[in-house]
Amino acid sequence: MDLTPLAAGLAMGLGGIGPGIGLGIGFSKAMEAIGRNPEASGTIFVPYILGLALTEAIGIYALVVSLIILFT
Amino acid sequence: MVHVEIAAEELFRLGPLIVTNSMIGALLASIVLLVIALRFARGSGIVPTRGQSLVELPIEFLAGIVRGTGGKRWRQFAPLIFAIFLFVLTANWLSLLPGVGTIGLVHEVEGHEIIVPFLRAGAADLNFTLGLALISFVSFIAFGLRANGARGYIKELLVAEPAYMTPLLTPIHLISELSRVISLSMRLFGNVFAGEVLLGTMLALTTATVFLLPLAFVVPVVFIFLELLFGAVQAFVFALLSMTYITLAIAEHRQHGDDHHSGEAPEQGTAPAHGAA
Repeated sequence: MDLTPLAAGLAMGLGGIGPGIGLGIGFSKAMEAIGRNPEASGTIFVPYILGLALTEAIGIYALVVSLIILFT
Repeated sequence: MVHVEIAAEELFRLGPLIVTNSMIGALLASIVLLVIALRFARGSGIVPTRGQSLVELPIEFLAGIVRGTGGKRWRQFAPLIFAIFLFVLTANWLSLLPGVGTIGLVHEVEGHEIIVPFLRAGAADLNFTLGLALISFVSFIAFGLRANGARGYIKELLVAEPAYMTPLLTPIHLISELSRVISLSMRLFGNVFAGEVLLGTMLALTTATVFLLPLAFVVPVVFIFLELLFGAVQAFVFALLSMTYITLAIAEHRQHGDDHHSGEAPEQGTAPAHGAA
């Protein structure tokens, strides 16, 4: 039995947990900050996008690994 | 089932150079950019026409951010950041046009008929994103060297702030510098490539049975909109991260100098040791 699809699915699924939680925390904090101080939304935007990109990179690594498992 | 190929497919060879469909896609993006630039650089006036303001819109948006977060020397690296942003954005958005990744020659591999498309998203090839990431890597090292001088930069790179932590921190520092290239390139590649696979899968799912066939006109549209958004966000993120790395490389020296002059209490003891090292 070929378990390669299972491995790819597990790699992506387990690898998505951490970044998901991290992105959720980051987004909720950003919204909280904008809610407290709506004028600061312009200042918050750039660091927020940066943090989002850096957190999301972990998920992308999982995606790349699972794609490599699947298609090579 | 969707056919997925991680590496870009070879179209033809020019001597030793293998021309892939991704390279054609990236070339098309740069031609489009060039045509737009030539068209609007010549005939631009103080009062912008409709087309001109459309072209100036992303530049103004990015210029505001570069000016706001790029520090004093933002004028030096702003063109590089604009070029990276516009190139990645054009390449990403061109890949959403109908025909990219679908029109091609049919080849037979291991009994299956697969289509080798003439065009493929530029960033759906790791070579494209790795090349861009290397440009960003070389430029932030060059800006760091120019701002701090060769000695200052190497000292900053190899000697940690309390000198006795150097054996522990220097490897981590070096690895984190190198991993920027990998994370920059993998992020863009992963996003664009996953987007292509996602669009293909959505189309394949909706055309799998006759009952779902009407959905084939609706469902992919939603995801194409999503890809428009992701294409812009990823281009922005790539440009923004390159800018942040350059700004950090330039600013390292200034922080260093401040430490010496102000000499905060916990760092006072280590400052002479650092200077000797």
